[in-house]
Amino acid sequence: MIGHFKENMTVLGEITILSKDFLKCMFTRPFYWGRLYEQILQLGVGSLSITIVIGVVTGLVMTLQFGYGLAKFGGTLYVPAIVSLSLMRELAPIFTSLLIAGRIGSGISAEIGAMNVTQQIDAIRALGTNPIRVLVVPRVLATVISLPLLTTLSAFMGILGGLSIAYSEFSMPAGFYINKVLSSVGLTDVFGSMFKCAFFGFIIAIVACYRGFQTKEGTKGVGQATTWVVVTTSIVILISDFFLSKLLILLFD
Amino acid sequence: MENILELKNIVKSFDDKKIHQGLTFTLKHGETIGLLGRSGTGKSVLLRSIIGLEQIDSGEILFHEQRLDLLTEQQLYPVRTRISYSFQNAALFDSISVFENLAYPLFEHTNLAEAEVEKRVMEALQMVDLTESRDLMPSDLSGGMQKRIGMARAMILNPEILLFDEPTAGLDPVNIEMVIETIEKFKAQGISGILVTHDISTAKRVCDRILILNEGKIGFTGTVDEFEGSDDPFVKSFLL
Ligand SMILES: Nc1ncnc2c1ncn2[C@@H]1O[C@H](COP(=O)(O)OP(=O)(O)OP(=O)(O)O)[C@@H](O)[C@H]1O
Ligand SMILES: [Mg+2]
Repeated sequence: MIGHFKENMTVLGEITILSKDFLKCMFTRPFYWGRLYEQILQLGVGSLSITIVIGVVTGLVMTLQFGYGLAKFGGTLYVPAIVSLSLMRELAPIFTSLLIAGRIGSGISAEIGAMNVTQQIDAIRALGTNPIRVLVVPRVLATVISLPLLTTLSAFMGILGGLSIAYSEFSMPAGFYINKVLSSVGLTDVFGSMFKCAFFGFIIAIVACYRGFQTKEGTKGVGQATTWVVVTTSIVILISDFFLSKLLILLFD
Repeated sequence: MENILELKNIVKSFDDKKIHQGLTFTLKHGETIGLLGRSGTGKSVLLRSIIGLEQIDSGEILFHEQRLDLLTEQQLYPVRTRISYSFQNAALFDSISVFENLAYPLFEHTNLAEAEVEKRVMEALQMVDLTESRDLMPSDLSGGMQKRIGMARAMILNPEILLFDEPTAGLDPVNIEMVIETIEKFKAQGISGILVTHDISTAKRVCDRILILNEGKIGFTGTVDEFEGSDDPFVKSFLL
């Protein structure tokens, strides 16, 4: 038990060191714009379709459930506000981040892990270059940039999905729905959610890079690394979401 | 001849596994040393320690009188453009083409224009006789070809010292001959080298001196002639 605790503290310490090195490399030259662009395409743009699907489906199902649930109490009118706020503040950030943890987190740790066990990381060092600058900075930045944008898109698509159900199932006029959404979702909600997701994106990518660098025992090690990254980052996202939400409510509500 | 690289009393272990227990030798300017030793005696670890990929426990590594063992990773980056390491397994970047593998160090460390980079890469490919594979991916190459590309990548920045880790292992005679010719070309340019190998005939052809690692120490050191003429049963076991 105590050994386990100590181990976790070591991991936390090492991730902190990696984060510090990341910041140092990010603000010093050379900066690899080309690699950042490549990663945004691969990680961000590559996740577009799946984020849209998640957003739309969540919006559909939420509107359906709240629509019928609240109808019993005559509360159908509140559906647009409830659906759009919960999507923007919680559901889109959490669903998208968990999805990205699975898709991007595992991808990054598998890629860096495989490079590590085939000595390509050593080769980067042996050629006089810094693996953090070459591999970590573009991946972390790409995730920190992409995740908030993906989440916002996902929430937007969810609200549209909600509109279609509100209109078709509950005969709610589109103008009414949109008005209600616009009066309940404010800019602080959008930026608050983007802020949370930027933080989640950082956690996902830095933890994935860290575990990739730690990978040792060949193919099996790569598999274990990806599983560990997805589980760890998902838990961290869910727990930190509570505290970040609390903070945002304190600041803006 | 002046010393370009000096190793003094190198000690290195992994956890409780002792690898090097006090290695001392020097590499002179323009010289090629053949480093022999049974599998697992720490030849690769020694080459990796020289450029700081592994940290030694104690001892001194001097490159032109500069203590490499005291440098940080950051400070080692420029040194690694002057001492380069050709990996035992080639360690090519497998997500980019052969051309990009060779261009990588040039883009990182020089301000050459693209045309000039292209020219340098083609020259390096010519040196290892693989110009036609410039647009292939590393996975499309045979093991021997990968090794030669790895060597080309290691030499593309015109280093002062080249560390070759078993460049001929697992190759057929034709490929071995090409590798030997490549090393001879480096030698002709005055580049110093340490060649780790199990292949005695290659060592005899390209090395000026032979050094044998044994149980963490240097078991033998001498010229190729002294190596061949030795009566020591331990040394003789390598000649068979
Ligand atoms: N990172 C490491 N962690 C723990 N042990 C290691 C590490 N790297 C190497 N070793 C051990 O050090 C010893 C020497 O390894 P090294 O690769 O230098 O041998 P070698 O002389 O190059 O052998 P070969 O001729 O087979 O290439 C081996 O027993 C190896 O298991
Ligand atoms: Mg070896």
